[in-house]
Amino acid sequence: MTPISSDSLLAAAPTRNSSVATLQSVQRNYRRGKVTVQALKDVDLCIERGEVVALTGPSGCGKSTLLNVLSAVDRADGGDVMVCGLDLRRVAESELTLLRRRKIGVVFQDFQLMPNLTAEENIGLPLALDGQQDSDRVLHLLERVGLARRLGHYPSELSGGEQQRVAVARALVHRPEFVVADEPTGNLDSSNGKEILAMLMEIRLEEGAALVIATHDKEVASRADRVVRLRDGQVLGAHS
Amino acid sequence: MILRSLWLRPTLAQPTRALITVLGVAIGVASVVSTLLASRAAIASMSADVQSVAGESRLEISRPGGFETSDLEALRPICTEALLAPVIERTALSPDLGDLVRILGVDLLIDQELRSIRLDATGNELEAARNSMLHASGVAVSESLSKDLGIGVGEEFELVIRSRKVTLQIAAVFKPERFDSAWDRFILADVALAQELYGFEGRVDRVEIKPRLELNLQQLASRVEGLLPPTYQVQPASARRDEGERLVRALEFNLTALAGVSILVGIVLVATTLATSVVQRQNQIALLRSLGASRSQIARAILVEAGAIGLVGGSLGVALGWIGADSAVSSVRATVATIAEGVTPGIIRLKWEWALTGISLGFFASIFAALLPLREALRTPPIQGLRSQHPQSIAGRPWKMRAALFALLVGAAAFFASLPPLADRPIWALVSALFLLSTLLVLAGPLIDICAGIRPRFMGAGAAISIRLAQAALEASRTRAAWAASAVGVSVALAVSMTTMVGSFRQSVVDWTAQAMPSDLYVRPLTTVGGASAGTIDPALTEVAIDTFGADFVDPFHQSSAHYKGNLILLGGAAFTVVAQHGGVPFLDGRPSREVFAEAAERSAAVVNEPFARRYKVKAGDTLSIDTPAGFIEREIAGVYRDYSGHIGRVVIALEDYLKAYPNEGPKSIAIFLPPDQDLESSRANFMQALAGAYSVEVLNNRELRAEVLRIFEGTFAVTIALQIISSLVAAIAVIAVLSALIRERRRELAVVRVLGASRTQLFNLVLSEAFLLGLAGTLGGLFIGLIVGYVLVTVVNLQSFGWSLDFVIPGSIFMILMIVIPACLLAGLAPAFMALRTAPRESLHANG
Repeated sequence: MTPISSDSLLAAAPTRNSSVATLQSVQRNYRRGKVTVQALKDVDLCIERGEVVALTGPSGCGKSTLLNVLSAVDRADGGDVMVCGLDLRRVAESELTLLRRRKIGVVFQDFQLMPNLTAEENIGLPLALDGQQDSDRVLHLLERVGLARRLGHYPSELSGGEQQRVAVARALVHRPEFVVADEPTGNLDSSNGKEILAMLMEIRLEEGAALVIATHDKEVASRADRVVRLRDGQVLGAHS
Repeated sequence: MILRSLWLRPTLAQPTRALITVLGVAIGVASVVSTLLASRAAIASMSADVQSVAGESRLEISRPGGFETSDLEALRPICTEALLAPVIERTALSPDLGDLVRILGVDLLIDQELRSIRLDATGNELEAARNSMLHASGVAVSESLSKDLGIGVGEEFELVIRSRKVTLQIAAVFKPERFDSAWDRFILADVALAQELYGFEGRVDRVEIKPRLELNLQQLASRVEGLLPPTYQVQPASARRDEGERLVRALEFNLTALAGVSILVGIVLVATTLATSVVQRQNQIALLRSLGASRSQIARAILVEAGAIGLVGGSLGVALGWIGADSAVSSVRATVATIAEGVTPGIIRLKWEWALTGISLGFFASIFAALLPLREALRTPPIQGLRSQHPQSIAGRPWKMRAALFALLVGAAAFFASLPPLADRPIWALVSALFLLSTLLVLAGPLIDICAGIRPRFMGAGAAISIRLAQAALEASRTRAAWAASAVGVSVALAVSMTTMVGSFRQSVVDWTAQAMPSDLYVRPLTTVGGASAGTIDPALTEVAIDTFGADFVDPFHQSSAHYKGNLILLGGAAFTVVAQHGGVPFLDGRPSREVFAEAAERSAAVVNEPFARRYKVKAGDTLSIDTPAGFIEREIAGVYRDYSGHIGRVVIALEDYLKAYPNEGPKSIAIFLPPDQDLESSRANFMQALAGAYSVEVLNNRELRAEVLRIFEGTFAVTIALQIISSLVAAIAVIAVLSALIRERRRELAVVRVLGASRTQLFNLVLSEAFLLGLAGTLGGLFIGLIVGYVLVTVVNLQSFGWSLDFVIPGSIFMILMIVIPACLLAGLAPAFMALRTAPRESLHANG
């Protein structure tokens, strides 16, 4: 267990160039039983500040693994991963925690709200983990996602669409430099999906955060600044 | 298939959980089995003693105060039909061993027809041994005693009898033919020597009868009774054993009830584990149900799991209990010695029926524990599991139903507490305590809600979030959390109630000794290493005390047995006029001790102890008719005094009246009050000088006496500390079991928290906070219910068991329990916390993309 220093270099080291994340020749292997699976093979990728990038590809192509590496949730086995100015392959676990807490927002396909925290508490969770409290910010986001009247409700009292709105607000509450979203509309019907996506795009634009979104949905991909296609752990190509 | 899916594979996948539960059951069974084996060893030893020592005698004639040998003449008409053997059976202190030995005084010439004792000598040696025993201070000792003393034939050894050192010579060593343990530390002497040693000339303790022909024992007993004065009793030889066994069984009941406590905690542990496993597997149960599994098939799987836990835990418990019985024997040895003089537990023998009882106890306790989780499992409809992605908490009962259930349980507890004892045992009061403890199952849910609802506003946001997340997790797993809190609550309640009972008892004893033992000096026979004292003090010592301090300052207390309404009681004789001047035992009605004793002395009345008054339902002003060797003595009761020195009914009359009915065998103790101008230590020194080393007694000052009383008290209740440790251990196991299950189930949720930026420290604190909250909820409930159970133990169980009324005192030490239990829960949270630390953030995202 490594304690996290309160004001580590992360807090004082803003990203100096225009990219928030740069991946070079990144590799990630898993062992499944006796077999080694190459989830990512020599992936090169650059995410620019404020950019929306859609990751597409068939199931098992490496989208989630790439999101894990980008969001400092998983470490690459090879190559260079620079996120928000940090070399993720070399920094301590505590630095990764701080990075996730302060610079990255995550939206999950199945919402992943804390079942017994209210909507307001769920949104404020990343701030609370950092020892902060900003009720105005939380209320502002609740309003932005149209749930100002539902702040005291628990996830079980919210619809799927409402839960994902809370998740979006949670991903943005701490003003991250970029947001990763893994199939954010995958568990929603099309109208809810569209609404959530629009909201996500809009708010992240206001906040100036980059967005990396893994999706199967062509319509979602069509709204991105850039689409990166993956197959068998490799980037096949990118187009705007 | 269902078994494999619901039980076998999950058990193999998580063997630690199963092992922890099995261990919980094993600890409970082990404490019951070891207690039972230890007390059964005492009973078996006593039974073997009586059987072996009684030999072939079938009837015994006895009388409080002894059988007068002159009355043997009256039995001449049956001499042709039966063999009559006078016997003295007493104890003495061996200074070399620091323990008691038993002396059997018999008529050597006729006794060989009764007992199977063969002296280890032949020819001239045997003749010399007999001569030494008949005409000098020669005795035969058992082989084991000879070994313990490290001396043999012809050598001398010392004993303390009636506070005087006597030197005896080993004339022979004997080897018992049967029941080795019965003859352990046994001395065989000629009856004349025994009479001389105990100042019992002209009397023996009993006369044993062996019919020479095939006679009807009932008819023979009637004939003997007809030949003797009515104060004599003729009973089968086994009657003495029955009385001793009754006393040991009463002790066994109390010890087993205490040990049963750990079974109760074990039941809660099994219930917690099964409830956890049911909720964890609710999706599987729902899936199996939707695939066509019947309720009975699901029930079978759960009961098989519970049964297996019970069988394995029970077997392990029997093995542990067998091992632990040896140490239990030493802890009950002193207690047994005080309630049945001369009896000590023998060898521990694990009979197959006891093993079977232990295993059955584990099995049925587990099956019982499975009932509530089973109900939850059977209530799971197929659709519920399929609809949810994660196991859902089972909805709590509506508060109205909960309140009604709580009221019902409390009502039942109050009802059972108001019932009289069953067969002289506080069985209903213990049932009442069980009902009270079961209210914790109802209270635990709301307590979890309360603990989960308190917002830690006084803390910084960074620290508070761990607690808030822990509260959220407990709310989400309310049912399981409630089970764990119940387990902690039951342990705390048991610890609190026992501490309250012991604390109340201790306070009452402290107050009582302060009032009941006002003497400046206290003389008693030498005690064993374990604190047991036996026998009396030489009457001549009373004279020395009177010569030194004056008759107005010396209160010799004599005691023997008597009969009241056909029951054996203790009859004491005390110097009422002395006590009336200086004060003594406190009286129940609050009247001053001096006043009551003055009245008793003036009106030739008696005082009785509280156990006597309660058992025979008598009060001050009633008249008693006590059957003594000198015939019936009628006395009015002047007062009922508090007595925590024993639970046998005792009547005390004026010493001069007592000595008219009983031979002066010497007092049990002597209380000496110093004249106002005398210095304590110099008076003690003067008195010791006056004794001139002729007596082996302990002369304690008041402070030493009170300290000694408390020392014995603490020793007697040391067993409760062991039970508290067991309870805390099982509570900690419950917390580990439940938290581990919760962590395992919430891996993804914890991973999400990690992804959102929680540090490993925060995650660690989160799990520890859960452990803390579980401990807090359980402790709050346990403290509340424990105090109520403690009140029942103090005011009902004690009164029904021993006839002692105690003041209910809440001892400060119960807060020590809280200071132990909550850290124990935090400690129990460490393993799940470390397990949580292993949660990798990437587990939150599906690695399928």
